[in-house]
Amino acid sequence: MKQMSHKMKNSLTLLVIAVLIPCIVLGGMVLFEGKFYTWTSLCIAILSCVPFLYLFEQKDTSANELIVLAVLVAVAVAGRFLFALIPGFKPVTAMVILVAIYFGKEAGFVVGSLAAVVSNFYFGQGPWTPFQMFAWGFVGFLAGVLTGLLRRHKACLLLYGAIAGVLFSVIVDINTAMWIDGTFRLSRFVAACISALPFTIEYALSNVLFLLILAKPIGDILQRMKKKYGLFAGVK
Amino acid sequence: MRAFSSYHPSVLLIYFASVLLITMFTTHPLLLAAAFLGGICFCALLERPRVFLHSMLFYIPLFALIALTNPLFSHNGETVLFFLSGNPVTFEAFLYGVAMGAMFVSVLHWFKCCNRIMTSDKMLFLFGEMVPKLSLLLSSALRFVPLFQRQFVKISQTQKAMGMYSQDSYVDKIKSGSNVFQTMLSWSLENAMDTGTSMRARGYGVHKRSSFAVFRFAKRDAVMLALILVLSACTLSGTFVFGEVFAYYPRLSKIQLDASTGTACVAFLILCFLPFLIEMEEKLRWKYYRSKI
Amino acid sequence: MEILQVENLSFRYPDAEKCALDGVNFSVNSGDFIVICGKSGCGKTTLLKLLKRELTPFGECTGSICYMGNQLVALDADITAGGIGYVFQNPENQIVTDKVWHELAFGLENLGLPTEVIRRRVAEMASYFGIQEWFRKNTYELSGGQKQMLNLASVMIMQPKVLLLDEPTAQLDPIAAADFIATLQKLNQELGLTVILVEHRLEEVFPVADKVMLLEDGNLLFYEHPKKMGEYLRTHMHEMMAGLPSAMRIFEALSGEGDCPLTVKEGREYITKQYDNSIDRLEIPPYEHKDALALELKNVWFRYERDLPDVLRGISLKVYEQEIFCILGGNGTGKTTALGVAAGLLKAYRGDVLVDGRKIAAFKNNELYRHHLAMLPQNPQTVFLQQTVREDFAEICTAMGYKKEEREMMITEIAGKLDITNLLERHPYDLSGGEQQKAAVAKILLTKPRILLLDEPTKGIDAHTKQLLADILKRLKADGLTVLIVTHDVEFAAANADRCALFFDGEVISVDTPTAFFSGNNFYTTAANRIARGRYHNAVTCEDVVELCRKNMPTVEEK
Repeated sequence: MKQMSHKMKNSLTLLVIAVLIPCIVLGGMVLFEGKFYTWTSLCIAILSCVPFLYLFEQKDTSANELIVLAVLVAVAVAGRFLFALIPGFKPVTAMVILVAIYFGKEAGFVVGSLAAVVSNFYFGQGPWTPFQMFAWGFVGFLAGVLTGLLRRHKACLLLYGAIAGVLFSVIVDINTAMWIDGTFRLSRFVAACISALPFTIEYALSNVLFLLILAKPIGDILQRMKKKYGLFAGVK
Repeated sequence: MRAFSSYHPSVLLIYFASVLLITMFTTHPLLLAAAFLGGICFCALLERPRVFLHSMLFYIPLFALIALTNPLFSHNGETVLFFLSGNPVTFEAFLYGVAMGAMFVSVLHWFKCCNRIMTSDKMLFLFGEMVPKLSLLLSSALRFVPLFQRQFVKISQTQKAMGMYSQDSYVDKIKSGSNVFQTMLSWSLENAMDTGTSMRARGYGVHKRSSFAVFRFAKRDAVMLALILVLSACTLSGTFVFGEVFAYYPRLSKIQLDASTGTACVAFLILCFLPFLIEMEEKLRWKYYRSKI
Repeated sequence: MEILQVENLSFRYPDAEKCALDGVNFSVNSGDFIVICGKSGCGKTTLLKLLKRELTPFGECTGSICYMGNQLVALDADITAGGIGYVFQNPENQIVTDKVWHELAFGLENLGLPTEVIRRRVAEMASYFGIQEWFRKNTYELSGGQKQMLNLASVMIMQPKVLLLDEPTAQLDPIAAADFIATLQKLNQELGLTVILVEHRLEEVFPVADKVMLLEDGNLLFYEHPKKMGEYLRTHMHEMMAGLPSAMRIFEALSGEGDCPLTVKEGREYITKQYDNSIDRLEIPPYEHKDALALELKNVWFRYERDLPDVLRGISLKVYEQEIFCILGGNGTGKTTALGVAAGLLKAYRGDVLVDGRKIAAFKNNELYRHHLAMLPQNPQTVFLQQTVREDFAEICTAMGYKKEEREMMITEIAGKLDITNLLERHPYDLSGGEQQKAAVAKILLTKPRILLLDEPTKGIDAHTKQLLADILKRLKADGLTVLIVTHDVEFAAANADRCALFFDGEVISVDTPTAFFSGNNFYTTAANRIARGRYHNAVTCEDVVELCRKNMPTVEEK
C-alpha cells in the first residue's frame, strides 16, 4: 500500500515534469507573445535546474554528506563577506569548481545553485536569482564532468576558472540587461557586453587568482575530509 | 507592518508570484502604472523613510537610463524626433523605454517587498513539503552563514595577534584572506562532522522525513487566497487572453477602455494595492483602539 | 529494573594496538543517575557511543549490550533513535537548523511524525524547558547556555528512556553549567529518566549521582556510590583525586573516616564537627612583585560601534613583569573585550594601553606581535592553518623571520618543553582538546613573546591536563614571561594566579592576591573557601583548608 502510494507519487512527479511544465512554457509563450524572450529565458533557467535538484532530492544522502554540502554552501556565501574588503574578489565560483572536482558533479551543481539562493537571502532575491542558480550550478556540474582534466593540469583549471567567470557574467549580467527589451536585439547585446566588460574581467581574474592560490590547499582539505570520514565514496 | 505578512506563506507566495508575473510580462501602460505605484507605496511602508528616499537616488537614474537609451537601440516607430549619427530617434521607442523602465523599477520594488515579507523560514516551509532534503540543506546553510561570519573575524584576529600579516598591502590582504578562508574551511568541515553525528543521533535517515511548520492555514487565508486568484484571473483574461496586445511599434495603440480591459485594469489596481490597504487598515484600527484607551 | 546491561564489552579501533574498551561489565537500573569519569582517552566517549547504536564507531566490537532486555543491535531503528538520547560537548556543533522551533521539531520530522503530533510535543517541550521566549528566534542568536539547553530539549522531545551526555557543560560558563546540571536533575527526579553523564567538573554532579563509574585505559575500575569513590582513589593512590569535589578532597586528605561529605554544606558540617578553630587563619606572606610594568591599561573606554553601549567603562589595570594575572567575572562583563584591547586587536576610544611602558599605538604593523605580546584565543582550533603541527610551527617561524638552522632547533626545544614531540606529525584537528590546547600554546610561544594573553585556557580540559597547563605557566613565568589570563575557573585562578581582578559591568571592581581576593568574596569564590568560611580565614584552596585543619587536629583528639 505504502509502496503503491510512493510509486504513484513518483509517477505524478514525472507527469508534472513531462507534461505540465512544457504546457506552462508553451502557454506562456503564446500568452506573453510580446515578451517571448523574457519568458523563455526565465523558463530555461528555472527548468534546467529542476532535473538536477530532483535527482539529488531522490538520492540517499548520508547525514554527514548533507551537512558538508550545507557547510560548503555557507562557506562560499560567507566568503563573499570575508573578501568584501578586496573589491571584485568573490570566491563563490572558484569554490563551486573545487567542490565539483573533489566531491563530484552533482555536489557541484547543488552547492552552486544553492549558494545563489542563500547569498540572495542576504543580498536580495530578484529576477536574477534563477539565472545565478543556473549559472553557478552549471559551472559546478561541468567542472565535475571535466574532473580528470582539471585535476591533472593546473593550466586547464585556471583557464576553466576564467571561462567560468565570463560564462557567469554572460548569463547573469548580460541576460538581465537583454531581458529588459523582451526581445533579442544585437545592438543592445553588444552594448550590454561592453558595459559589463569590467565586471566580466574582474570575475575571470578573481577566479584565476583564487584558484592559483587556493586550489592546492583547499583540494588537500577536501581530499582529507573525503578520506577521513568516507564522504562521497562514489566519486573518484 | 505585520498585517499582510501574517498571512499563510502559500497565500503570500501566490500573491507575489501573480503580481510579479503580470508586471514582468505586460506591456500595457495602465497595468504598468498600477504595478509601479502599488510597488512603490508598499515599499515605502515597509522601509524606513530615510532608507527609502535614499534608494530613490538609485532608481530614478536607472529609470532615466532605460527610458533614454532605448531609442538608441531601437529605431522602430513612425514619429521620428531627430536623427542621431544617421539613425532615427523615434517617439515610440522613447515611450517603450519609459514603459520598460517602469516595469524594471516596479519589478525591483516588488522583489524588495517580497524579500522583506517572504523570509527564509517561509520559503523553507513552502519548499519543505516538496523538496524536504534540499530545504533542510538550505536551513542548515542559513544557520551556518552568520556563524561563519563571526568565526571569520575570530580567526583573522587570532592570526593577526600571532603577527602573521601586516594588512597594509593588497598582496598581504589577499594572502591573509586566503589563509583565513582555508582555516575557516577546515574548521567548519571538521565541526560539521559533529553536526552530522547529532543528526544521526536524532534518527536522521530512519524514515522518510516529514516536515513541520509553525504556520497554519486559517479561514482568513482562504478568503485572501480566493480574492487574489479572482483578481489575477480577471487581469490575465482581460488583457492577455481577450484583450488586444498593446503595441508600441510602429505606432502607439490607443488605450481602449472596453469592458474587458477596464475590468483587468481595475482588478490589477486592487491587487497591487492590496497589501498597502491591509496595512493602512490595521494602522487606523490601532489608532482607533488606542484612542479608546 | 535493569534498563541497560553491558556484558564483557570490548572495542578496538581499526589500526589501533590497544583496546579502547577491555571487557567492561555493568548494568544500569531504570531511573539511575550515573556519572562516568576518567582521564582523557580512557574510553569514556567510546563507551557512550557504543551505547547509542547510531553512533557506533568503526572498529572491532565484542560482548553484548542489552537495552530493556533485548540486544541493542537487534532492535528496531525507531526504538533506538528515539529511546536513547545523546547530547554532545560543543553546543554549537549539534544544532542543525536555523530556527529554534525547527531544531526542536527536527528529530520528530526524522521519525516521519505528522504535523499535529509534532506541534503538540514541541509546545510541551518548549514550556517544560522555558523556551517560549526564544521559540521563534534564530539559533545563532542564542547564548552558549541556551544553545545547550535547546540541544537537550530537542533530544528530550523524542521521549528517550535513557539520556547519554558527553561532557555537556565543558563549554559553558559556571552559571549556565549549574543550570544545565539542575535541569538534568529535574528530568531525573520528575520523569524518572535514566541519565548517564560523562563529566570532568564533578563539583556539581557528585551530589546528584546515584553511582559513579571510573574508567582507565578501557577498564572499569570502580562503579559504586560517589561517597565510596574517595576511599577507593586514596587506597589506590589514583591521580583522579585532584578532580574530585572540594569537600571530598579535604575529607580524604584529612582522615577519610566516617561519612564522606559531597557538598559544601556537608563539608562545612564535617570540619566544624571534627576540627577546632583555635588557629583560625593562615599567614599570608606579603606580595612581592617586580617594579617594571609589563602591561598597563589606563582609564580605557571601549564600545564596538558608535551606537552601541560601552563595554569597557574606564578600566585601569597594572600587570607587573613576571606575574600571572587572572581576570575573573561573569559573562558579558567585558573580560574578553579587555583582553582584545590589551592585545591591540580592538582600539579604545578613550584612554591608553601601554605595553612595556610604550603606547600601543606606537607599535607599527607587526612590531607588537614580534617578541612583545601574543594572544591565545578561546578556541585553539583557530590557531592552526597547516596539515601537520610541524608545518604549522614552521610557518610561524618563517613569518617571524627566524633563520633556517634556528627553526628546527626551536621547534624541537619547544615541543620537548610542552611534551608534544609525539604530536608534531599529526594533523591539528586529529588531536584531542587538551592536546590542541598545548600545541596552540607551543605555536604562540614560538613568537617568543614577553607577555602572553590567554582567553579561557582551561575550558573543556580535564583536571590532569589543567595541572599540566598550570605547570607550564609556572615554568614560563620563571623564564621571565608575564601571563594575563581571562577565566571563569575560580579554582584554577586561586591555585595559580599571583593576582586576580574581578570585572563587573565594564569596570574593575577589585584587584588583589588570590587569598585576599577570594576570602573577601562571599559568593564568587572557590568551594574550598566556602567550606572554610566563618571558621578559618584566608583559606582559599583545598590545600589551605587541609593545612589549617591539620594545625588544629590535636585539640580535636583531646576532646
